[in-house]
Amino acid sequence: MKTKARYKLTIICALVMATSGLMMAQDAPKLTDPEIASVAVVANQIDIDYGKVALKRSKNKEVTDFANRMIEDHSAVIDQAVALVTKLGVTPKDNAVSQSLMSQSKETLKKLNSVSKKDFDKTYIDNEVAYHEAVIGAVKNVLIPQAQNSELKDLLEAVLPALEAHLGHAIMAQSKISK
Amino acid sequence: MQSHKFLVSKYLLIVAVLICAFVLLMGFESSENTYKPTRHTVTIFKMKFNPENLVVNKGDTVVWINKDFYQHDVTEMTSRKWTSKPFNQGESWSKVITGDIKYYCDLHKVMKGTITVAK
Repeated sequence: MKTKARYKLTIICALVMATSGLMMAQDAPKLTDPEIASVAVVANQIDIDYGKVALKRSKNKEVTDFANRMIEDHSAVIDQAVALVTKLGVTPKDNAVSQSLMSQSKETLKKLNSVSKKDFDKTYIDNEVAYHEAVIGAVKNVLIPQAQNSELKDLLEAVLPALEAHLGHAIMAQSKISK
Repeated sequence: MQSHKFLVSKYLLIVAVLICAFVLLMGFESSENTYKPTRHTVTIFKMKFNPENLVVNKGDTVVWINKDFYQHDVTEMTSRKWTSKPFNQGESWSKVITGDIKYYCDLHKVMKGTITVAK
């Protein structure tokens, strides 16, 4: 019982850590387009990294299918973002938000790599639900309103339905894993 | 003599009615036989099948076109009887419709659609 309570507390802490960087973004000073491009690439790369850990650690088809999808879809977004910044001649610029996301993802990766095999699937999917909720909020409320270039705005708007579909998929997987 | 004439005209009238009925029946039958199957398009864009619900005639073809930069597929939902396998942006997949279908994208399980055959 003690272990279960500690486990729950750890998950809550991890979720708070995962979302706080994106919440910070909502209070952050105005981001320029190169900074928005950097945040977009970093946020996608983080979920690819989580997916790679899931493929390494999980045997659950629900989880591995979801992880493969995250790797494929977020890689496709990065390809689009790279093509766009290349076309626009813009270099993504590191900033406080992308740095905060990176440092928090390191903590989450540490957790995903160290949690017991038995608890991995639930930890991964719970994190995916929370991460996608946070990213959707940041894209909707921070990145899209602040983007100046119309093509960058279009790309972010095109990414939003995919993030929402991923969230729906993660919630479906979460309900199956929790049973 | 008159009654013979009357009988002949009655006979001719019956023959005429039968010919008309036959022509009408042939007409209906041929209109069914000459129904040309239609091609319908479902666009896959922004993680949605558009239109999500489509009504077609039996024998029509539905073409799904992927306009997203993500891969998608079209998979029968009830028991995964058939699937298109994943296809990329700009690619399409088609199926001749023989009955009602509920389908989804097996890669993005929240994407769903239906095809209904008109009665």
